[in-house]
Amino acid sequence: MPTLIPLLSVVSLSKRFGSLRVLEDISFNVQRGETVCLLGPSGSGKSTLLRCINWLERPDGGRVLLDSQPIGVTSGGVVMNDRQLAQLRTRIGMVFQQFALWPHLTVLQNVMEAPVHVQRRPKDEVRAEAEALLRRVGLHDKRDVFPARLSGGQKQRVGIARALAMKPALMLFDEPTSALDPELVGEVLAVMRDLAREGMTMVVVTHEMAFAREAANRVVFMDRGAVVETGTPEQFFSAPSTERGRQFLQRYAEGRSVAA
Amino acid sequence: MSLADVLTIFHGALTTLLLSVAGIALGLPLGLGLALLRWGQVPLLNPLVAVYVSLLRATPLVTLVLLLFFALPSAGISLGPVTAGLLALTLNTAAFNCEVWRAALLDLPKDQIEAAQSVGMGRALRMRRIVLPQIARTALPGLINEMSLLIKLTPVLAVVGVVDITRAAVRIGAQTYEPLPPFLVALAIYVPIVFALVSAQRWVERRMARREAAA
Amino acid sequence: MMQDFATVWSERGLLFAGLGNTVLLSLLAALAGLALGALLSTLLMSPKKALAAPAKVFVDAARCTPFLLFAYIVYYGLPSLGLQFDAWSAGLLALTVYHAAYMAEILRAAWAAQPRAPIEAGLAFGYSGFGLFRRVVLPPLALSSAPVLGNQVIQIIKDSAFLTIITLPELTNAVNSIQSRHFIPFAAFVTAVLLYWALCLVVEAGVSAVGRLAEARR
Repeated sequence: MPTLIPLLSVVSLSKRFGSLRVLEDISFNVQRGETVCLLGPSGSGKSTLLRCINWLERPDGGRVLLDSQPIGVTSGGVVMNDRQLAQLRTRIGMVFQQFALWPHLTVLQNVMEAPVHVQRRPKDEVRAEAEALLRRVGLHDKRDVFPARLSGGQKQRVGIARALAMKPALMLFDEPTSALDPELVGEVLAVMRDLAREGMTMVVVTHEMAFAREAANRVVFMDRGAVVETGTPEQFFSAPSTERGRQFLQRYAEGRSVAA
Repeated sequence: MSLADVLTIFHGALTTLLLSVAGIALGLPLGLGLALLRWGQVPLLNPLVAVYVSLLRATPLVTLVLLLFFALPSAGISLGPVTAGLLALTLNTAAFNCEVWRAALLDLPKDQIEAAQSVGMGRALRMRRIVLPQIARTALPGLINEMSLLIKLTPVLAVVGVVDITRAAVRIGAQTYEPLPPFLVALAIYVPIVFALVSAQRWVERRMARREAAA
Repeated sequence: MMQDFATVWSERGLLFAGLGNTVLLSLLAALAGLALGALLSTLLMSPKKALAAPAKVFVDAARCTPFLLFAYIVYYGLPSLGLQFDAWSAGLLALTVYHAAYMAEILRAAWAAQPRAPIEAGLAFGYSGFGLFRRVVLPPLALSSAPVLGNQVIQIIKDSAFLTIITLPELTNAVNSIQSRHFIPFAAFVTAVLLYWALCLVVEAGVSAVGRLAEARR
C-alpha cells in the first residue's frame, strides 16, 4: 500500500499556560478524507490542540504541517507574521462552539464575506456558491436574515456553510454542538455526517459519542494534555486498551457528566 | 435688545457650532486611535495613553485652554484663540471618547476576531469589516453623550477671546444694562441643540435595547 | 524650568487659598447638591403630575444647559430681578442647583434599577417609614449609585474652574494670576492640572473603596 503524505501532521506539539502543561508532546496525522474525533474529559487539552492547528493558539514546541507546509513557523525557524498566517488559514475551515457569526451581516453576507474580501473572488460567482451551500445546510430561505434571529442549530449550520465557502482542505470543529439545546444537536450533526461521507478531511472535538462512533475513521482519546490512545471507533468504544480510556467510557455510560 | 444684538448672538452661535463640530470630528477618530493603542497593548504607549486619558479627564477645560493659550508660546508654538480652543476641545473629547471606544472594544466577543482570523482575514480587513462595524454600534450612545457634553463646554472659549454666544451676551448686557435677556437668548440657542443630541442618544439606546430583546 | 516651579511654590499662599476654595466649594456643592437632588428625585418619581412634571422640566432643562451660562445667569442676570450675589455665593448656588438636577436623574435611574423584593421583605418583617428607608432602602441604593455619583463629584470639581470667569478666587483663578504676574504660564498651569488630577484620584479612590464594599455584598 503506497504511503500517502498526510494532509495534516502534528509533531511533538506542546503548550503551557504559565506553569500548567496543557499539551505534552502530541503527535498524530490525519490523511486526506479522514474524520478524526478528539475525545476526552474537560481540561484534557483537546480544544487547545485544535486551536493550535490553525495557530489561534500559539504552541510552545513542536510543528504543525498542512500538506507538508509548516504552519506558524517557517522552515527557516522564523515565526510567521499575521499575513503569512492569514494566507495559510484560508485553507483550513473552522467551526466555533459559540458560532461566532458576524452579527452585523446577514446569513448570506456571512457566508460570502471571506471569499469576496479575502480570496477576492468575483461577487456573482461567490453568491451562487454561497446560496448553494446554504441550500445544502437547509438554510437558503434564511439567507437575508440576521444571525440574531436564528436558533443555535441554525447559527451553527450557517457557521459550517461559512467555513465551507472558502473551499478548505481541512475542517476543524471546536465542540460544535456543546452550546446547543439538545433538540437542536441533531440537525448540526446531520450536516457534519454528510460532510464526512463526502470525503471532507475533518478534525472534530466533541462529546457526542454516537457521532464519533458513526462518522469517525479514527478517534484520539486525550487526558491531561497527552494522547492516551488512538484507534478506530470500533476498537476504542468496544474494547479500550487503556485503563483511563475504560474509565472515561464507563463514566460516560453511567451518564455522569463528563462536562465540557 | 435690537435685531443687531440678536444677530450678534446668532453669529456667536454659529462659531460655537462650527468649533463643536470640528472638535467632535477630530476627537472621534483620535479617541478611537487611543483606544486601539490601549486595546492592542502596545508596550510603551499603553501606560502613556492611560496617563493621558486620566489627566485629560480630570482637567477642567478652562484650565486646559488657558494652559494651551499661555504656555505653548514659551515652547515656541504660538496659537491663536480659535486654534487653542479647538485643540483643547479635541484633546479633552478624545480622552473621553477613548474610554467609550475602549468599553465597546472590551465588549466584543473574542471569537468574533477568531472567526475572522480563521477565514484568513488580515489585520486591516478584520478591523475594517468585522471590528469597527460592531464597536461603532456599541459605542454610539456613549459617543453621542460625549458630543452633548462637548457642546456644553464651548461657552468657556469666551475666556480666550473666541467670540461666542455667552461673550456676545455679556457685551450686549454691558451695553444695554440689561444682562438677563441676552443670556436667555443664548440659552434659547444652546438648549435645543443639546436637547436634540440627548434625544438622539435616548432614541439610539431604545433601538439597541429593542434589538437585543428581540434576539 | 525648576526655577519656575520654585516661583509657584513661593506663591503657595495664593495657590493653597485657591485650592482650598475649589475643595470647599466642591464639597459643599456636592453635599448640598446631593440633598437637593434627592429631594428633586422624589418629586420626579411622584405619582402626582403637578409635582413630577415641573421637576422633569427643570431637570431636563438643566441637563441641556451649559454650566457657564447657568453661572452667568445666576451672577449677572439675577441682579436684574433684584437678587444680588457675591461671586462665592453665586458660584456655590450655581454649582449646587445645576448638579442637583444631574444627581436627581442619577438617583432616579438607580432607584428604578433596584430590585423590589428586598424592600417587600423589609415591609414583611415590620420595617416602615424612616427605619425602612435607612436600613433597607438606602444601603443598596447608595452602593449601586456610588460610581456614577463619584463621576458627578468630579464634574463638580471641574465645573468649579469655570467660576474663575465670574472672578471667584478658586484654583484656576489663583494659578492664572500667579502666571500673569511672574510670566511662568507652563509651571503654573501644570501645577493646577496636577492638583486637579490629584483631587480626581482622591474621589476615584473613594469610589473604588465603596465599590469594594459593594462587591463583597454582591
